[in-house]
Amino acid sequence: MLNDKLGIKKLYALSSEKRKFSFSLPLKHKIKIGKRNYEIKLKTDEKYGTYILWKNRKYPVEVVRSRQNKYEILFNDISYTFSVETPFSLQRMKVLSSSKGKTEQEFVKAPMPGKIIDVLVREGSNVLRGEPVVILEAMKMQNEIQSPVNGKVVKVAAKANNNVMKDDLLVEIKVD
Amino acid sequence: MDLSGKSYKAFIERQEALKKQYSPKQAEKQHSKGKLTAHERISLLFDSGTFEEIYTYVTPADQPVEFGKVERTFGDGVIVGHGKVNGRLVFAYAQDFTIMGGSLGVVHAKKIAKIQEMALKMGSPIIGIMDSGGARIQEGVASLSGYATIFHNIIHSSGIIPQISVIMGPAAGGAVYSPALTDFVFMVNHTSYMFVTGPNVVKEVLNEDVTFEQLGGAEIHASKSGVAHMIYDDEENTILALKKFLSYLPSNNVENPPVMADDGSCSDINEKLRDIVPDDPNKAYDVKDVINNIVDRNSFFETAELFAQSLVTGFAKLKGKTIGIVANQPKVLAGVLDIDSSTKGARFIRFCDAFNIPILTLEDVPGFLPGVDQEHSGIIRHGAKMLFAYAEATVPKITVILRKAYGGAFIVMNSKNLGGDFSFAWPSAEIAVMGPDGAVAILYRKELAVSKNPAELKKQLVKKYRDKIANPFIADESGYIDEVIDPAVTRKKIVSAFNALSNKWVKVPSRKHGNMPL
Repeated sequence: MLNDKLGIKKLYALSSEKRKFSFSLPLKHKIKIGKRNYEIKLKTDEKYGTYILWKNRKYPVEVVRSRQNKYEILFNDISYTFSVETPFSLQRMKVLSSSKGKTEQEFVKAPMPGKIIDVLVREGSNVLRGEPVVILEAMKMQNEIQSPVNGKVVKVAAKANNNVMKDDLLVEIKVD
Repeated sequence: MDLSGKSYKAFIERQEALKKQYSPKQAEKQHSKGKLTAHERISLLFDSGTFEEIYTYVTPADQPVEFGKVERTFGDGVIVGHGKVNGRLVFAYAQDFTIMGGSLGVVHAKKIAKIQEMALKMGSPIIGIMDSGGARIQEGVASLSGYATIFHNIIHSSGIIPQISVIMGPAAGGAVYSPALTDFVFMVNHTSYMFVTGPNVVKEVLNEDVTFEQLGGAEIHASKSGVAHMIYDDEENTILALKKFLSYLPSNNVENPPVMADDGSCSDINEKLRDIVPDDPNKAYDVKDVINNIVDRNSFFETAELFAQSLVTGFAKLKGKTIGIVANQPKVLAGVLDIDSSTKGARFIRFCDAFNIPILTLEDVPGFLPGVDQEHSGIIRHGAKMLFAYAEATVPKITVILRKAYGGAFIVMNSKNLGGDFSFAWPSAEIAVMGPDGAVAILYRKELAVSKNPAELKKQLVKKYRDKIANPFIADESGYIDEVIDPAVTRKKIVSAFNALSNKWVKVPSRKHGNMPL
């Protein structure tokens, strides 16, 4: 739909590691590996679910999550997250990231009162977005407190077995 | 066709003047800010060639007093009309920032009011795409009264037709209340802002330094204030998501939601569901895994994803039919009900009830969040909203208790005696007045105090409590739930329960309205 209304001729799949793969519209299901072109087929049937047919072999694909243009898929039991971007949205991303510029500190705080069970990072650890940094027990439940950003831990304020109040600092992360 | 006659001359001239009004330069200016023009937004939203614009050639009202500049443009900075979205009639207005900053003058307001009235009369959803500098200062009080008319129309259409606001630029001052009154608000990251008073006034009055983004950006409103329900990184995806969103909603409060063909790709028996809830009751899991394994493949559309994340709300399709889902999220804050999650849930339930969308509740709730902060901020008042909304809703309501169902929170989460139609529980369910540790500490306080080995005694008592009381079988045998089910057959059970309820009809005595604890 994007191609006839906005004249978009190319789409990109941007992986969570910022690798970019381009596809021209309309999709032809051809991929290039090295110098050779291969045709792949995406099929769905009741017995195997969705799979990619390549060289007469079936490779199962499962869309685990999808949110508009963001997808998490399971392919050969390996999970991949990526977003589908247009030339416009890539351009926009570039403009926005250049205007942000400076790196920031991210303060990970206790979302509710509780007891620290475990601290999973040390000063200097590199963390990825979504990676658990602290286990906080509250409401009789062990809650994983996750890093909201990719970055490097610069300060660990949380100590195992200590009680914390809401909004107490747990970990300070320097954003990459 | 020969259009050389005299009367056609004026007609064609006018058409050409309109064309000139939308210059590529202005479009370029919008694009450079990462925004689309009003026309591009409209064309993305509607099925090709179906949008009919009306009141295209109206011009701004005359100024009462000469002050500032008013451009004599066609349309007065807003496009209104109707068309088809996924084949269904939808009304829309889109403010055009390139014309007088999209400011709201009298004529501009009248156009919006007119389209609102039409949408209400036809019983079709209305979409407002906002990109406006606010009230047109030159037109003074007349422009303010324009806002009032728009608000009045939204309020009187509320619960009759779905009303959705899409913020694609600034919305400041009184203008923010127009989206706030509608059912759902979409925003675009980095290019849309909403605030009652802007950063300049904040600086002047409170001497606080704050940027547009920090004060009223999309992310803040989606995560902290709860004003925005859905946010996306760019306008194209926002509009595409909106189109998908509309496919879940009925056109009005007397119609049923659209039914999609059931592709039969989802088996009614799903053994994956047996392995999601961990054996250890202190371990968390992601309730969205449960949802995705129950509903039709990839059909779950989450609303207010970033706000009050301990409660998940959203729409999904079950055998092609729309359902609303309310689920506690053990992964976030142990899935507690707090002030924000209660209001989020209550508002979602009321929307479903107004628009004939059956509600599925997935329950794993340790209780209400304790603490001074919550109590003083009125958890009693706000928690009551959720209770009120559930009991008031007359649409089919089904609950599945996945694990914890403790105390007041058990009652609130659509328990049978509150009016839930069916209540199922997984074997992992724990239904009781309070959790084992709390209960043991109260009931065996004296014994624990004199015991030589209190920790060991407590452990034994907790185990006994779990075996004897905190399980789903007592509730099942005494009729407070309908059935303890194998998780693998959840989809099958829910489908047949909703089918049994499809003609549910509740007679509500006439009243002006209930008095929800707001």
